Amino acid sequence: MDGTGDDAERDRGHDRAAAVNELQRSASTTFAERVLGECRTAVPLGAYACAENVRYLFLAASGPYALVRQLDAETTLQPVSGTIPLFSWDEREMADEWGVRFDLLPDARPLRGRHGTMPPAITAHGTGLMRFVVGPVHAGIIEPGRFTFSSGGETIVHLDAQLSYAHRGVERFVEGLDVAGAARLVARICGSCSAARSFAYARALEGLAGVDLPDEVELARLAVAELERLYNHLGDLAASAAGAGWGPGFAGGMACKERAMRLCRLAAGHRLLFDAIVPGGIGPQVLRERRRLADQLAAFAADVEEYLRVLFTHASTVSRWQRAGRVSREVADAFGAVGPAHRAAHGKIDVRSFAPYGAYRRLPVRVASATAGDAYARCRVKRDEISESFRLIRDALVQLGDVDLPDPQALAVPPGVATTVVEGPRGSEVLAVHVDGGGRLSRLHVISASFRNWPVVARSVDGNIVPDFPLINKSFNLCYACADR
Amino acid sequence: MSVFRHSLGIRHLVCGSCNGCEHEMSALENTFYDITQDGWDIVASPRHADIITVTGPMTEAMRAAAHETVAAAPRPLVIVAVGDCALGIGPWAGAPAAGRGATDELGATVTIPGCPPAPEAILAGLREAAELL
Repeated sequence: MDGTGDDAERDRGHDRAAAVNELQRSASTTFAERVLGECRTAVPLGAYACAENVRYLFLAASGPYALVRQLDAETTLQPVSGTIPLFSWDEREMADEWGVRFDLLPDARPLRGRHGTMPPAITAHGTGLMRFVVGPVHAGIIEPGRFTFSSGGETIVHLDAQLSYAHRGVERFVEGLDVAGAARLVARICGSCSAARSFAYARALEGLAGVDLPDEVELARLAVAELERLYNHLGDLAASAAGAGWGPGFAGGMACKERAMRLCRLAAGHRLLFDAIVPGGIGPQVLRERRRLADQLAAFAADVEEYLRVLFTHASTVSRWQRAGRVSREVADAFGAVGPAHRAAHGKIDVRSFAPYGAYRRLPVRVASATAGDAYARCRVKRDEISESFRLIRDALVQLGDVDLPDPQALAVPPGVATTVVEGPRGSEVLAVHVDGGGRLSRLHVISASFRNWPVVARSVDGNIVPDFPLINKSFNLCYACADR
Repeated sequence: MSVFRHSLGIRHLVCGSCNGCEHEMSALENTFYDITQDGWDIVASPRHADIITVTGPMTEAMRAAAHETVAAAPRPLVIVAVGDCALGIGPWAGAPAAGRGATDELGATVTIPGCPPAPEAILAGLREAAELL
């Protein structure tokens, strides 16, 4: 049952915190060294602060857990980001917004701008080098961000991607809200990974409440999560074709994406699956017309297969993708690439199979992977995941049959902390949920797949030509809203 | 009927949206809705715009850039608020770093509610905006 995983994680989180404090008393191992040691055996997810402690999160096959360090007025932490840059954004955020003191952060700039003013960008200087800034307003239907390029002629020498223009202060805003009432807001932190985040949020509360969901509800959630992957991946491939300058590839992919969004509406009553997964179950409109959905899905899958066949045999598109935006295994690991970006660069982690949850325990996922780490590899991973999503939805619908889907259960959520991770379209979607004695949120922290992957995008363009930036960027196609929060 | 009816330049401005509205704005360019058939286009610069569509609750960080974008557009200009956030009635109205949307901040004259509004609703709103030019 899923809830026990979260409970175990909580307990283990506390056990390990105690162990860490023990080690510090012996004064031979610092907290940072302990975190670095943990990175060798588990998957680092990121870190965050709350009023009384800092929490470094990891994923093991048994589920997520935290290394916790209590804070007092005297505490100064050694940064981990000097060794593992994956933690850079997290430690900058902790330092600037939570007042955590670090001894010499490698990048000590605030993560976010204040009052519309960004911290200075990091740029390269030297003979023949120039710098130019793009954003925050971009030429298209794109979220806001500022990209400062340093280039020598056509060749990109350095890119500093500064986001936070979509920062609304969502974590502070939901503090004090009733956990059930906050679900509608959690679903709207980011439109592109709404179902994944709702999934993680629901599982966190169900884990704390010790509630087990019926198999049919878990199967329905799996179908919803895979529909989200479908429409996102199809949109990403369309955009990647556009980045390579192939109009028909873009048009065909966007038509597929539209059809996927219409299937989302048929499957869950909302084109972007908002509120399809709720604490205690699923929304009232989820999978009410299963026969129609299964029929349309079968026809759609055949058309998508044909689209993908044409796209991946279009030589000039594929050749633009190849070698563009290459991320080595070392860079992917050090900067913490997740999802298709990770799996395109030798990575083997897909949360659905590495630490299976819900119906993924019954319907194992065949993990897609590639090794080249370039835009082509990322597109291929997404292509393979599209086929796998179709299969998973089909299998879930077959297993569901005509069984009635129950209304959501009411949850009695005791105070506690739960960390959950689900595999969204762009990778691991992490949510840390702190609940107080009154059933209200005392802290919510979001580590989105986009938050993890943005620094990887910035490194992926080193040595590439400026005109390839759009296609490299679109091969990741990250969100800004869930990274900025 | 407006002279702009068959050559509408639409500049899209994202001011802290969750990007749900962006998915639906992008849908206007797909073969199901295809606004280019009407001579409409999503343009790359405010200098080319007859209409500016705005989404999001207007984050603190975007306020200055949003005003500069509107100032850069030629007149006549119609500002269209797309989605509940831009109307000031979205989920993040009142969040610590968010304002009250485009209607309030930029004086949008056409408003399209929804979370997000469906492409059909956005098209109806754009037609309404075209009539105002």
